[in-house]
Amino acid sequence: MRHVRGFDVARPLSIGVLVLMMLPLVFLPLASIFIFGTSNGLDKFWAALTAPEAIFALKLSMVTSFWATVFNVIFGLFAAYVLSRYNFWGRNALIVTISLPTAIPTAVAGFALLLLWGPYGTLGRLLTPHGFQIMFTAWAIILANIFVTFPLAFGVIKPVFDTMSHSLEEASATIGATRWQTFWHVTLPSLRGAIVSGALLTFARAVGEFGSTILVSGNLAGRTQTAPLYIFAKFNEGQIEAANAIAIVLALFSFLIFSVLFFARDWLDVD
Amino acid sequence: MKAKETLIPKREEPEPTRPAAAASVVGLSKRFGKASVLENISFDVAEGEVLVLLGASGSGKTTILRIIAGLEMPYTGKVILHGRDVTELPARERGVGVIFQSYALFPKMTVEKNIGYGLRIRKRKRKEIRETVNELLSLVQLEEHRKKYPSQLSGGQQQRVAIARTLAYKPEVLLFDEPFGALDTQTRVHLRREIRALLKKVNVPSIFITHDQEEALELGDRVAVLNVGHVEQIGTPFEIYNHPATEYVATFLGAANVLDAVVRQDVVEVGSARLPATLDKEKFHDGDCVKIVFRPEDVQLSRGDLPRSAHARLSSARIEEITFVGAYERLRLRLDAGGADECKTDETPFYLTTETPDRKPSKSIIATRPKPEASATRLQVGEKVVVSLTSFTVLPPKRSKGTN
Repeated sequence: MRHVRGFDVARPLSIGVLVLMMLPLVFLPLASIFIFGTSNGLDKFWAALTAPEAIFALKLSMVTSFWATVFNVIFGLFAAYVLSRYNFWGRNALIVTISLPTAIPTAVAGFALLLLWGPYGTLGRLLTPHGFQIMFTAWAIILANIFVTFPLAFGVIKPVFDTMSHSLEEASATIGATRWQTFWHVTLPSLRGAIVSGALLTFARAVGEFGSTILVSGNLAGRTQTAPLYIFAKFNEGQIEAANAIAIVLALFSFLIFSVLFFARDWLDVD
Repeated sequence: MKAKETLIPKREEPEPTRPAAAASVVGLSKRFGKASVLENISFDVAEGEVLVLLGASGSGKTTILRIIAGLEMPYTGKVILHGRDVTELPARERGVGVIFQSYALFPKMTVEKNIGYGLRIRKRKRKEIRETVNELLSLVQLEEHRKKYPSQLSGGQQQRVAIARTLAYKPEVLLFDEPFGALDTQTRVHLRREIRALLKKVNVPSIFITHDQEEALELGDRVAVLNVGHVEQIGTPFEIYNHPATEYVATFLGAANVLDAVVRQDVVEVGSARLPATLDKEKFHDGDCVKIVFRPEDVQLSRGDLPRSAHARLSSARIEEITFVGAYERLRLRLDAGGADECKTDETPFYLTTETPDRKPSKSIIATRPKPEASATRLQVGEKVVVSLTSFTVLPPKRSKGTN
């Protein structure tokens, strides 16, 4: 019996089930971070947060993620332009290849980078004697971040390119604009929303990256230790408060990014 | 040369003196893979003239427009704008103005930004841009909408912005790609009058493409009728409507009756009827199988056996259907007279039908009568009438190349 005196029972019931399912899966784990993190008092929490190693880990995460994002947004934009504007042999193969990193386990990604750039790797073997060492530096973290977040910006931007009317660009050309002017004045403004969304997604994903980073960075505290690695290390050392403080920051951070993504969507697409 | 055939009685027709071409295409052809979509297209447009390319979908009209705009390359042929061969130039160096069917206004720019775009990318001075934009805004009467975005405008307003945007950089030629396609009938009729007035004001040569014959006749100073990649006829709306050069043109531009006939010196024989016609001896020979074309409004009906005035008597006919269509009355008539026996190439031969109407196919024609005439002489279905023609065109016979 779905209707009781004109009242649709299915509605509150399904909403209730949804919330109940999310409770143990998402809400409660997140809540525990906050409960535990602040259970020893705010001053302890603050001390854990401002520890030099913790600050360094957060900074390193932000900086490496930032550069990975810059690279992947520009690359994603370029790739989306090429793959949506030109039709050529092997186009679909390229699209699949770009999207591949989503499906590869991050540990495999890190391992693959080591095998290429590591001291005994395919390329690294030739470069190391010349003092050129990428692995176990911040560069390695950026490289790993680029690899695992590779398809994100592309995936957001390409559909917008595909649906964008080709006649806008043709109109601009007949008016007298060069390709570059057309891209800058006509194409790019229409992509603003997609670029911002793509960038936020990439950044959020990069900040949280663990599997590949732990392999390529060497996990050296104060040198190549990112925030997720710091959490893992402190947890292993039994310093739960230290791990917890950073966990809270990262959780709040991703919450912030996705709120922006959600609520800014309208603003980004209007006018 | 345009084929000029007979019409009875002779109508006066002004021969306009055409100024030098502002834009022309010469011998355009285009292939997509193995399929040929355009064959040897040539025409020109004079300064301030409006040429309409009229054709069904697949006639190649859009491809011609895109070739002139530089958005597509021809296989052979040239595009010449004000004496300059631009065939090899990219779209941006041609200085043509294209009004796309969807208008293609830049969605993130205001009306004034859209209009000023052509000057901004040409790095003109701000003052000059502002003045030109103001001028154009008042020309297209959109001053109060200058700060709006395209999505906030009606279809007609968007179209005016699109035109102003191209006028800003003084285009060599304006190209309109089915500009009224997306609008409802009332708005269309209103807009095309507005645009026609606007174009006469700015005096830029314009090329429209459309599949709507009414639109073509109303908008064009001249109309080029296209059929699967070639030009069937170019002429003034009067010429192509009243003297169609081919059967395709005749039937594409509104209702037309087509009958088989034979040429006999100074007449054409349609069944037993002999219609006086002055024919070009170069094109028509005795005994040629031809077709005559006439419009429903060229048909005169009378009850008596005597044809009215000097009109050519065609045949007697039986009224099969009468429909009232507002301003006039439309009648479907089945002709009694016999057809040209030696010209039975047509799929629907034209035989004697009086005795056995069911077994022998005969030709039916459509006639219209204006309201005053329809109410003065009322006709009934089944009634016999005499059909005469006030005017008709003889289409030249199809000949294989080489034999004249």
